[in-house]
Formats: sequence, C-alpha cells, structure tokens
Amino acid sequence: MIFNYFRNRKLMAKLMITYILVTVIPVSVLGYIAYKQYTMSIENQVGEYIPKLLEQANTNINNQLNDYKALPDALYNSSQVIEVLRKDAYQNNSALFRDEFLVNGTLSRMYMTSGNPDILGVFILSKNRLFQSAKQTQVNIDIENFPSFLGESIDLNGGTEFILPNQVDLEFEGDSPFLFMMRELRDYENQENLGTMFIAIRLSFIEQAMQGLTRDRSPSIWLTDQDGRFIYHSDPNMIGEIDSQFQHYPKVNGSFRTTDWMNNDLISTYKFPSMNWYSFHRIPLRELMKETNVVRNGTIIAFIIIVVLSSVISVLLAWNVSNPIKKLTSLMKRVEKGDFTVDLPMDKKDEVGMLANSFNSMIQEIEYLIRENYQIELKQKDAELYALQSQINPHFMYNTLETIAYAVEEDEKEEVIKMVTLLGRMLRYSLNNKEKLVPISLDVSHTKDYLTIQRFRFEERINFSITINVDQERYLIPKFILQPVIENAIKYGLDRSRRINIDVRIIKNKDDNLLIEIADDGPGMEESMLKKIQITLSQNPMIRDSQYGLLNVHTRIKMMYGEQYGLNIDSKAGYGTVVYLLLPLEDNLERKGVS
Amino acid sequence: MKGTSKEPYHVVYSSEIITEQTENQNSNTYKIAIVPKVMNIPYFNAVEQGAMEAANDLQVEVIYQGPNIANSKQQIEVVDQLVRNENLDVLAISANDPEALLPSLKKAEKMGVKVITWDADTLPEGRSFFINMVQDETLGRHLMDTLAWNIDEKGKFAIMTGADTAANLNEWLYWIKQQHQEFYPDMQLVETVAANDDPQQAYIVAKELLAKYPDLDGIIGNSSVAPPAAAQAIKEEGKVGEVAIVGLSSPNPMNEYLKKDIVHVVTLWSPKKLGYLTVALSKQLAEGDFPYNNQEIGGVGKIRVDNDTVIMGEPIDFTKENVDQYDF
Repeated sequence: MIFNYFRNRKLMAKLMITYILVTVIPVSVLGYIAYKQYTMSIENQVGEYIPKLLEQANTNINNQLNDYKALPDALYNSSQVIEVLRKDAYQNNSALFRDEFLVNGTLSRMYMTSGNPDILGVFILSKNRLFQSAKQTQVNIDIENFPSFLGESIDLNGGTEFILPNQVDLEFEGDSPFLFMMRELRDYENQENLGTMFIAIRLSFIEQAMQGLTRDRSPSIWLTDQDGRFIYHSDPNMIGEIDSQFQHYPKVNGSFRTTDWMNNDLISTYKFPSMNWYSFHRIPLRELMKETNVVRNGTIIAFIIIVVLSSVISVLLAWNVSNPIKKLTSLMKRVEKGDFTVDLPMDKKDEVGMLANSFNSMIQEIEYLIRENYQIELKQKDAELYALQSQINPHFMYNTLETIAYAVEEDEKEEVIKMVTLLGRMLRYSLNNKEKLVPISLDVSHTKDYLTIQRFRFEERINFSITINVDQERYLIPKFILQPVIENAIKYGLDRSRRINIDVRIIKNKDDNLLIEIADDGPGMEESMLKKIQITLSQNPMIRDSQYGLLNVHTRIKMMYGEQYGLNIDSKAGYGTVVYLLLPLEDNLERKGVS
Repeated sequence: MKGTSKEPYHVVYSSEIITEQTENQNSNTYKIAIVPKVMNIPYFNAVEQGAMEAANDLQVEVIYQGPNIANSKQQIEVVDQLVRNENLDVLAISANDPEALLPSLKKAEKMGVKVITWDADTLPEGRSFFINMVQDETLGRHLMDTLAWNIDEKGKFAIMTGADTAANLNEWLYWIKQQHQEFYPDMQLVETVAANDDPQQAYIVAKELLAKYPDLDGIIGNSSVAPPAAAQAIKEEGKVGEVAIVGLSSPNPMNEYLKKDIVHVVTLWSPKKLGYLTVALSKQLAEGDFPYNNQEIGGVGKIRVDNDTVIMGEPIDFTKENVDQYDF
C-alpha cells in the first residue's frame, strides 16, 4: 500500500523522501547507538570504579575497627586493673571506691587522654560494678541502666559485638552518632569472665574513610549490617533504621542499577572483609550523566543541523534533478502542439544537461527538417507557381503573342522563331522542378530569355546588362531568384518612366559571399515606401501582395541559408532602385562531392 | 532502561558474588581428643576445665581422657582406644614419653587424625606442632632463680621431677642445671628424683629426701604434684622455714601453704588457658589452618610461634599476695 502510494508520487517527492530517509535514519540510529554506548561505558566504568573505592574504604574502616577491637587488650597490661576486676566481694565501701578510682583513672589514661580522639567513652561492667571514663563529665550512667538496655546477661563467647547508637539509650554531648563496641573481658588465666567492656566510638572514622567517595558529587553513602540496619548513613537521621530494600539488593561486590523508569540510580556495594557488613554508594544516574548530557545535547543539535542541512540539500538536489525534467516535459508539450521555437537553456554538463542539449538539438533538427523538407518545398512550389503564373499571365501571354503576331504579319520569321523558342524555353525551365538549386548560369539565361521577350514588346524602352564576376557554372543559387526582382523593376519602372536601364551584377564580395545587385534607373521610391518595404522584409510575413515576388525571394534565401542572408532594397525617389541579394557561395562541386 | 524487566535491580558490574556467611556453617562439629599425661591431678583437671570451656565457646566436641598413672604404656592404650573407637578429627596429647608414643600417633595419622602435642612434646615427626606453655629455657632458669632468692644463693637443694621420660620436664631440668652452674656456685644440687606425677609417690619421695639430707635448704618441684607434696612433708616434719620450696604448681593446691608461709612462691602458667588454647588450635587445625606468630586467639590472647612450637605466654609466680586471684 505504502509502496504503491510512494511509487505514484512525484519524482521530487520521492527523491526528497529518499534523501531524508537515507540521511536522517542512519544519523539518528548512529547517534542513538553512540549515546547509548557512551552512557553504558560511563556506567560500567563508574560501576567498576566505585566498588574498588568502597573496597578500599571498607579495608580502612575494617582496619580501624580491628584497631578498636584490640583496644581492650591494652587493659591486660595493667595487672592492677585485672586484679580489681577479678575481685567480687568487698569488705567496705572505701575499698570499692579505691578500686573504682584506680580503674577509672587507668581507663582515662589509657583511652581518653592519650588514645584515639574518636573514643567518646569507655565503660566496664564487671561483677555489679561499673567503671567508666567519658569525654563529657555529664555522662553518668547508673549501673542499673546498663543491663536494662543490654538485656539481662551478656555472653559474647569471647567475641566482639557492635551496638548501633539508636539501640542504646545513651547520648553524648553534640549528639554525634557513635558505635558502641562491646567486648567480653576474659580472664585468660582463670578462663573466667572478668566483665564486659564498652567503648563508644564516634562514627567520624567512617565518614573520613568514605570522604574519598563524596569528593566531586553528592552520593548517598551508607553502611549496613547483615540485616540491612544502617550503621552509618550520610543522612544521620537514617542511622539505626532498617533499609527495606536491603533484602532485594543483588548480593554482589560490584554495582547495580535500579530498573525503575523514574529514579535511575547506580548503587555500588562492597562487603566488609571479615564481617557481615556492607557499604553502599548510591548516585543518581543523571548526576553521572551530567557531562554526558552535554555530549548528548551536542549530538542532538548536530543531528538537527544535519537533518536541516540534508533536507535543504535533498530539496535542492531533488529540485535540481526534477526541475529540468519538469521544464523538459512542458516544453515537449509545446513541441507536441507544433511550436518548434522552444529552447531549453542548460549550461550543465551532467546527464540532465546532456538530455537538454540532446533535446535542443533534436528540436532544432526537427525544425530544420520541417523547414528544409516542407516549408522550403512549399515556398519553392510557390515560386515555381508564381513564375509559371507570371509567364502564362494572360497579359504577358497576350502581349507576347501579339508581338509574335505583329512579327508574323511583317514576315519577320527569325524573330518569331526566336520569340517562340524563348517562350518555350522559359516554360520548360519553369516546369522543370527537379532541383531547387541551379548553377547561376541557368537562372541568368532564364532571366535573359525573359528580358529578351520583354524587349521585343517594349523595344528601346528597356535596356539591360548582366555582368557576372564569378564562375557561373560552378556556383549554385536557388531557382527563380533573379526573374521576380527584374519583373518587379520593369513593372514599376515602366509604369512611370519612358525608358528603363537594368544592370545586373553578380560578384563575390569581400566576405566570400555571393552578392547579386539588380539596379534600375526607374522612378525610385519615397522614403516612407522604402521603410514600409524594409519593415515587411524584416518581419518575414507570409502575405501575398504587390511585393510578393521580392518577399518570396527574400524568404526563400533566408530559409535556405539563414538569417544573415536575404534581400535588401536601397532606393531614392527620382534616382532609381537597387536590390541586393546576399547568398552564400554554394559550390556545385563541393555539394556534389558531399552528397 | 528496561522498565519491563521484573528484577528491580540490574547488575552493572560484579567482581564476585557474595556467599552469605552463616554463623554455624560447620554444623558437623569437629571431634577433638585431649589426652593429658595423667588424670585427676589438679593441674590436668584445670586443663580439662579450660578445654571444656573452649569446647562450649567454639562449638566442638572435646573428649578429655588420659591414663590414671603417668606412664607411657597406659597412655598408648588410651590413645589407641580413642583412635579406634572415636571418629577423631584431632588428637592433642601431652606425651609421657617422646618416643614410645610415636607408633600410635603415626597410626592415628594414617587414619586421618591430625596430631598435635601440648604440655609435653614427642619427637617432631609424631605431630604437626607442639603447644608449649612457656619457653623451656625461660622457665628452667626462672625456677632456679626463685629458689636462689629464697635461700640467699647458698646451700643444698634437691629437685623433684615427674616421669623421668617426659620431654618437657627433662628440658626444664636441663635449664635449671644450666642456670645453677652459671650463676650459683654456692648452691649444691644433692639429688634429682622422679615421682611420676603421682601425689602419693611425690609425698613419699619428699619425706625420703628430708630424711636423707637433714641439712637440705631447698627443693625445686619440677612437676606440679611435687610442691604440694614437699610442702606437706616439711609441714609434717616441722621443718617450716628451714627448707624452702619452689617449683611448678597450681595456685589452688598451694593456696594454704602460701598463706601460711610454708611456701613462698610457686610458678606456673594457667593450665585452663592451656586447655582452652589447645582446643582452639585443634579446631583451627581441623579447619586446615596452622597457627602463626602473633596470632590473636579468642579467649587466650596473642601467641608466639617459633618454627613448629607454639608458646602460650610467660610463667606466672604465685605468692600469698596474689594467689587468691587465680582459681586452678
């Protein structure tokens, strides 16, 4: 259907659609693929790069945690503290307070004043005694409170546990989030439990470890335990909450992307080396694609420019191809109707130019052939008919026959014979229409015959001379071009003059053309009359009037040889008239040789 | 981009898939046999307590079984029986004789049981590694020193040891004598007697010594049953204050003697800790891992490793001031 529809479209439409499709589709597909690939490679690069950073951060955090885990070990270096912790009964309060003073002081020296600045407080719960040292003096915890938030009994099996801040009802000044490390203190020698040590550690060490990840963008970073509970989150309010999505996250060390249409995030994750802790890094894809979007927009702009350019070019190209064809079509329609004056100007050298050229030359050829074979023929026939008519014109016939009759009466036998012979020869020349072109001599002798007959009639009133300066046997001229001009001169000359002299000169002019001058000393013409005739000649009308003979000659010469040739008249009233016939030198030998 | 995919997440890059660590992945608990030199003396009872503590903490099955007298022949029987009847993963033994036990241990190894020694070593080919409590040289020289402090570096003294085949006892003896020869020329070693880790025999030996050397100034007990036996003997002979007693013994049997100034100092390590460490390292070996220097063992602390010998720590001196702190 579409194909058929398309098949019947105009060539221009077809070309345009094709061009646009051929440029727009590949460019858009290419652009889309390039953009897709580019974003994918960024996604992959970031997806590969972030987990490595996370791994590094995890290692740092883990090392830090291991350092923290080792903190309680320092306590074993103080045998005094261990000794106090081993005791479980007191005789009096002063002994208890002395021990508390000793242990609290040791804790303070060991952890608070010389230790890590991130340690917020240290507590030891041992056999119903609470030893403590904290950064802020106002933190003072009752011994009764401790078991309440930890549950009744603690049995860590010798291990270390972490309690998240919101699980403990304990606050430090500044409300900074912290991690509560819980470690069983074991009496290695007796293999008994000495108590439990609690160390509150500010989470800033995690923040520091994660700093490298937040440098240039603002991702969400968080740490969870194996249940998805936030140990650390870049949004402090989230710490302690449970990540509802945690169970759905793919369990990989790497990166994954949400497949949601609206919120496209790239999440990277890495598991801690020795714990069931996970670190996460979440960044919206559009954040990553900020730079890419410049490329994308650039691509889109380039795409639009290309589309516009290619559309313009395709329109121009289509127009360029289809327009000459359209022109050609309309010209052909005119030619169809018989107008051969068409011309398709085309300076191009491509196929369309060649077509136009061929068309032009074909039209010219057709026109030429029509003129050659039809119009010239027609004119020639006209001329022949005219010549015949003029000869068998009743007036001419009557005068001639009357002249012959006078001659017979006066018994001028030779004259009669001559006149009859001339008349017969003229009629034969007129009727013999095998050739259009004849040697100059033939037409000249026909003219001489005519003038001779006229001289029999008008006796001394007509004088004529014919001078021929060219080889009259060799060069050809159209038949009947001399007689009509001379007939015209006699007709108008003898109307108003007593005598008339006619001089015919046939020469080769300086341009190597054949020039025939027919000069008479008749009455001549008024200037206005001359103008009228000259205009008539230049207009080349096909009218039949008094100057028919002259016009016929003029038209035939033009038709046969071209515009530069033809008939011209120069006349002055009272001085006579000169008629010029300009013809090419048509060589009989050459012509025969060619044909 | 694929909004239609069912998975809410699409993995972009993955270096590895995390296999969830389950806490009790070794549900098939290991079976570990701990064989002491002898049963039912306070020292090895304390070891048993530590071992059982570890068995509970580490979720392994521990069989604590040894001969009733400190004798390699009986110990071999115990080992053979354990290897034959129990599907053991690890056998940890405190050897009464470094050579006599080798065939049994080799046999155990052939049956797929990993063998280590603790407290007293065998020849190295009989076991994977040896868990020593303290460095032999340190302990031997220290025992000699403690006696020297108590008798002002002069006078006659005797040494009571356990089984004269026990490798560790002989090693200590060597270093005691070495220290004696190097630094204490005014002291005279009159006799070294063996009591086979038998409290009754040790008591008889002590009495004999006191009778044989009326001017005896001190006794070094090179085995944990010796100091209490010697203390009992001098108390009964009315020689308190005349004969100084030092040596290896647990604080609990010595508590009374220390408090009453019958004995001034005894030296030992924590046998509970030794039991705990032995079980911990046995489990670790069952999992295929060997101990390494400075390794942190939960419930024990850091250990030292010197070639194929693990050293648990430093010896502890018990006096009347600190003896109450210890419970073994």
